[in-house]
Amino acid sequence: MKVVIAGAGEVGTHLARMLSNEEHDIVLLDDSPEKLSRVSGDVDLMTVVGSAHSFQDLKQTGLAKSDLFIAVTPFEERNVLACSMASYLGVGRTIARINNSEYLQPRYRAKLNNLGIHELIYPESLAAKEIVASVKQTVTRQHIEFSQGKLLLLGIKVRENAPILNRTFEELAQENEHILAVAINRDSKTIIPKGADFILNGDIVFFVTTRMEQQRVFELTAKEPFEVKNIMFLGGSRIAQKALEKLGDQYNIKVIEENIEKCEQVAGKYGNALVINGDCRNLQLLKDEGLEKMDAVVATTGNSETNILGCHLAKTLGVRRTVAEVENLAFMSLAENMNIGSIINKKLIAASYIYRFTLNAAISKVKCLTASDAEVFEFIAKANAKITQRPIKELGFPDEAKIGGIIRGEDGYIAHGDTHIQEGDKVVVFTLPSGIKKLEKFFK
Amino acid sequence: MNVKIIVRVLGLLLVVEGVAMLLAFGISLIYKEYDQAAFLISSGLNIALGAGITYLTRNAKREIGRREGYIIVTLVWVVFSLFGSLPYVISGAIPNFTNAFFETISGFTTTGSSILNDIEALPHGILFWRSITQWLGGMGIIVLSLAILPVFGIGGMQLFMAEVPGPTPDRLSPRIRQTAKALWGIYLIFTIAETILLWIAGMELFDAVCHSFTTMATGGFSTKQASIAYWSSPAIQYIIVVFMFLAGTNFTLSYMALRGNFKRVFKDEEFKYYALFVLGFSLVIFTGLLISTHTGAELAFRDSLFQVVSVITTTGYVTVDYLKWTPVLTIFLFGLFFFGGSAGSTGGGLKIMRIVLLLKNSYYELRRMVHPNAVIPVKFNNHSVDSKIITNVLAFFMFYMVIFGASTIVFSFMEPDFESAMGAVATSLGNIGPGLGNVGPAETFFHITPAGKWFLSFLMLLGRLELFTVLVIFTPSFWKE
Repeated sequence: MKVVIAGAGEVGTHLARMLSNEEHDIVLLDDSPEKLSRVSGDVDLMTVVGSAHSFQDLKQTGLAKSDLFIAVTPFEERNVLACSMASYLGVGRTIARINNSEYLQPRYRAKLNNLGIHELIYPESLAAKEIVASVKQTVTRQHIEFSQGKLLLLGIKVRENAPILNRTFEELAQENEHILAVAINRDSKTIIPKGADFILNGDIVFFVTTRMEQQRVFELTAKEPFEVKNIMFLGGSRIAQKALEKLGDQYNIKVIEENIEKCEQVAGKYGNALVINGDCRNLQLLKDEGLEKMDAVVATTGNSETNILGCHLAKTLGVRRTVAEVENLAFMSLAENMNIGSIINKKLIAASYIYRFTLNAAISKVKCLTASDAEVFEFIAKANAKITQRPIKELGFPDEAKIGGIIRGEDGYIAHGDTHIQEGDKVVVFTLPSGIKKLEKFFK
Repeated sequence: MNVKIIVRVLGLLLVVEGVAMLLAFGISLIYKEYDQAAFLISSGLNIALGAGITYLTRNAKREIGRREGYIIVTLVWVVFSLFGSLPYVISGAIPNFTNAFFETISGFTTTGSSILNDIEALPHGILFWRSITQWLGGMGIIVLSLAILPVFGIGGMQLFMAEVPGPTPDRLSPRIRQTAKALWGIYLIFTIAETILLWIAGMELFDAVCHSFTTMATGGFSTKQASIAYWSSPAIQYIIVVFMFLAGTNFTLSYMALRGNFKRVFKDEEFKYYALFVLGFSLVIFTGLLISTHTGAELAFRDSLFQVVSVITTTGYVTVDYLKWTPVLTIFLFGLFFFGGSAGSTGGGLKIMRIVLLLKNSYYELRRMVHPNAVIPVKFNNHSVDSKIITNVLAFFMFYMVIFGASTIVFSFMEPDFESAMGAVATSLGNIGPGLGNVGPAETFFHITPAGKWFLSFLMLLGRLELFTVLVIFTPSFWKE
């Protein structure tokens, strides 16, 4: 697939790198030659120096023959305009990055579509959604819902008090018909487990289950959900603001922010939070503001190091739930090992959101799992797709991937070897990056 | 340093060279001469060794960094020349190893300097192998491998950049592999076109193929001792002039032209200067020849144009002994030794783009002195050129001249005649072919001492990989972890 990406910022370069590694033809457009030369040094792509909203420069990228145009410059209006222009020039599909939730409303969708803007992506909003989910779901490292919660994917860290510790996956499957462990994350590596593998202390286990059986998973892992009431945000970034908006009034929220103007902005916009002007690295201040009494701490300063340290500190002081925004990819595995709870990464979230548009199969949801490069897809089984022709165990499904469950009509089911997928089913598939290509042919 | 992947890539490429030798083996079968066994043995050795290495290193980590890239590219050219000299030695065409190595590296680097004193006596297979070394080296061994082998993945880019440095990167398509394919496609089309034209113009098919190989590579090996002078036909000479000119043109432009985008070609600044230099120098020498000799106007024009294009594109064919011209004309031509073809062509030398950038920058420096606060960027193709590129070009020029000067001094120890030493160094560094004095167009490099031949071989490699790729390996910081 030929993809043109406008904007060589963090999201743009990450996408370019990922898609180029997947054998897509990438053209990267940016007005800064320095930014481009940084990417072109180690990624196989073509770079074009130019403006995202210039017909001349857009033509240079060979848009007319491209399948997908992704505008991820830092400027919303530029992205929207660029997508519109790209559509005019004949690109197959356009995606614009925005930072205004107004555009996301369904009633404007058709209008935007008429302008040639087919899809919208709002990374800060996606990240905020993730934050809200992890604040509400206090037990899991990651909590992904499929089809409004008909199936759940729960990532849970197993500690020494868990009953399933040192048992095999086979035993787990036999005793619990409605729970399936699809993957584990052990020592920063993601493994698709085999029946005879043991669950060890410190593993993050990814379970697929239904909402009804969710409680059973918590029992197996000896986790007790608790209610979060007091939340502290370190940093009042756009992600934090978006999360404040989504969290609403039922929480006691404190926001610590260094920049006074930002403080005023946050305080003016969101009545549900107490805004405190101060440095997030100031221990005394954090203690004065009752860090140890918090149920959850969300660190979303622009600085990954500060976020990691803030969450680490909160954990040592006994805060049960912490969420750190780590934008620096190199820090991700380090942060994972530091025991600082959930980690979110705006880039990865945005990238996996966009990712589905590059695949041929019909996909309704893609999520990347933080702290591992694995992804979860929700495919829609089309008529005559290979996947519908035989029961799962006879399909010869690749080892790098595992079918977690299916959603048929209004109900979610856990997948078993003899489950036979039918046309129209939504199929939740967990896969390592190496398996993505192989999956495509099952769902085409 | 990922040594395993370096060895693996070298092994893979040995197989490629072995396959190329099989082509020459095919020719030797047709002509039934004494070189058949030599090609079979060397090809077998290459393929067996290459396949063995590839098999043994199959679990090498597929990571080719910048440093591995430089080492692989430099070593490939050395290894290719070492193994490429086998057919000469085994068949006895060039029994001495130093001579055979010199001939091979002169081939792969598309220099075209030869140690052979009687080319016509060689069997056809050997002549064909000589031409094919240039053809492979012209567009680049790595570029070829990228186009035909689907094995390099992401590391291919590092290799491509090390082999095709150039002042500014030019990509024809988002994927390096597609770019390599497009480049080789044009290369192939031009080669076939030239073969057909030369054949029609009266050259024998075998000679036409060999000369097309060495023209498009801007190499300069001929199947005749007298080079192109052997054919007095103006048609043949003009055809070769045209294709030498094309080979010295940026292949990206040729790609555009073949797709019908002529506007872009004629708007290209480097192309304009390239054409201007060729015409300007040809006219000067043409006038000089008219005044100083009594040859006819057409012949004087053809001689001057042919020699100018041959030298500026660093091909090195000759139709006339330019040392017999009035000295001032020879000096004019020697000046062209430092020009080279366009960036992105198969030509060597400094490259037109660098020269234009240097001249512009130097001229602007004067304006900057008058207006100390003025912002005067160097513009090329209506875009201002990043100062990093200007610095790079300045460094390149500096290295080129220092290496030329220093090498002339070093080489004078091995070759006492100063003019010859200077000519030999300039021609090797610029990948041209014939030099001055006793290595002039009518002479060969046979009489140079063995040490001198190895020295010139090194200069050829340095010139072909545009200095930096080789030089960087000799810096201490390259080896520091």
